[in-house]
Amino acid sequence: MSDIVTASDGRDIMPGAFAPENREYNMFIGPNHPGIEGNFALKLTVEGDTIIKAKTEAGFLHRGFEKLMEERLFIQNIAIVARICVPDPDPNEENYARAIETIANIEVPRRAQFIRVLVLELSRIASHLFTFGGHAGTIGLYTMPNWSISDRDRVLDLFEELTGGRVYHIYNMPGGVRRDLPDGFKDRVRDVMNFIEDRLVEYDDLFFNNKIMLQRAIGIGILPRDKALAWGATGPDLRAAGFAHDVRRDDPYEVYSELEFEVPTATDSDAYSRTMVRRREIEQSIGIVRQVLDRMPEGPVWNKQPNPLKWRVPAGDAYVRTESSKGEYAYYMVSDGGVRPYRVHVRGASVTHGVHILENMLVGARIEDASQIMFTLDACPPEVDR
Amino acid sequence: MSGQSKTMDTDRPAAALGAARSAADLVVAIAADANVAGFSVKGPRRVEGRVDAASLHSFASALRTRVGFEHLSAISCVDWLADGQFELVYHFWSYRDNCLVSAHVRIARDSASMETITDLWQPASFFERDIHEMFGVTFQGNTDLEKYILTDWAGPPPMRKDFVSRDFAHDHFEFKDYEPSWDDLVTGGYHGSRGVAEGSNE
Repeated sequence: MSDIVTASDGRDIMPGAFAPENREYNMFIGPNHPGIEGNFALKLTVEGDTIIKAKTEAGFLHRGFEKLMEERLFIQNIAIVARICVPDPDPNEENYARAIETIANIEVPRRAQFIRVLVLELSRIASHLFTFGGHAGTIGLYTMPNWSISDRDRVLDLFEELTGGRVYHIYNMPGGVRRDLPDGFKDRVRDVMNFIEDRLVEYDDLFFNNKIMLQRAIGIGILPRDKALAWGATGPDLRAAGFAHDVRRDDPYEVYSELEFEVPTATDSDAYSRTMVRRREIEQSIGIVRQVLDRMPEGPVWNKQPNPLKWRVPAGDAYVRTESSKGEYAYYMVSDGGVRPYRVHVRGASVTHGVHILENMLVGARIEDASQIMFTLDACPPEVDR
Repeated sequence: MSGQSKTMDTDRPAAALGAARSAADLVVAIAADANVAGFSVKGPRRVEGRVDAASLHSFASALRTRVGFEHLSAISCVDWLADGQFELVYHFWSYRDNCLVSAHVRIARDSASMETITDLWQPASFFERDIHEMFGVTFQGNTDLEKYILTDWAGPPPMRKDFVSRDFAHDHFEFKDYEPSWDDLVTGGYHGSRGVAEGSNE
């Protein structure tokens, strides 16, 4: 080593370069980074290629939504909540509507409950496809993002037809959904589901069984099960650690208790198994969508509410949970009987994955795996910032 | 509920407690094992009740070790300005019983302080840090209460009800009309309120 810093005449040209106190250096990833679903920064302390300390830095997407919601009418906030998580916005709409329905004891028509499940599962599929593209991008497989994100567009086409919006749908209203399915919509959903089911097989060759994927992702970013529980992991990250908890099954909402689906798990809990759990979840979601289309009853889709501009929600509070594509997604809403919510607390799935778990898991990892670990944990910065 | 038995694992202390209990049974269990009465069933898989601020930590500890609640779902804070109190709501989820317990704690709004539960649930550190930043509640024993989201913020904790965003903006920012002329827009000559000095002809 010493000949690197010693000139031919024996002079030390980099004094102290290998002194113990100079072995560590700081490295910054982000806040603008293509491997992240939003602006988010990692401050890494690195020794050689190994990360010895990691701190996250958030706040680049802080829009003060929780404060803003307290100053707007209940109906106005429906347009805000979807913006809290960009890749998977529908759990927000679902939570917000269901919190109001729980406090005010509003009944949702059965057809609307089926439509909500349909929208939530389509959103999960779209979000997982997005994650595949992101994961592949972090390990240098750039064909996969092109495939999966263009396939995601087929789901967004369905959303556009159903709700008018591709990314943000603003479709759930307290008491139901905004409008009924268009004519022939069910057939188009079935077509897209068949298409994605076929594509998953093609993804196997391109991505899931790709040699680069196997070498880069297996054994990387291991989150042991006891740590997963202690650090508060939820969703696919917890299930990849072999712990079968799913809010849809264990705390069912809407009509999930009537639908048949499995909760996929894995045992290795590395970057590869987390992505494979998401792949199997897409298969389950396709199955749920098909059941919903077959069993959806006829009837009204909205339990009409009084004039939304003067609409008062009775005093009370509610804590509602939804299984988003990233994990447990919860809202705590308090109403004081007024026309505006008194307090809405958004508990995104990423507040544990993106901060606590990520900071702990990056210790000991290598620099080139940092963004892969972050992406397979599915940390969504807008959820952390709100 | 097929596959439920998969979640029951022998290496977790909660699994040793026997079969899953209903929300009503949990109310009894909380009174017996955590020694706090007054919890009630609020809805399907929802139990709630009030806990004194001083006994919250021992309550949470008993809830985790003896009643078997392994997952801290969230800590919420509500500012009751008229009462002069903050309400902290701790949401605990039991993987075994599939039930949520919400423990409501009221603390005084002036010099608001609370004992941390990060020694019981590590994820509590984020929620406590967030409440400290947004409401100004100090958590005794939490060593990581640095600013996180609002690193450049010098004002009061913004989620407090007496912080009014509109008034703050009026007090701290100068109001300027945005009325650029057409020529300014075409040439890019308008630089808004932070524009170049007049007459500098840039």
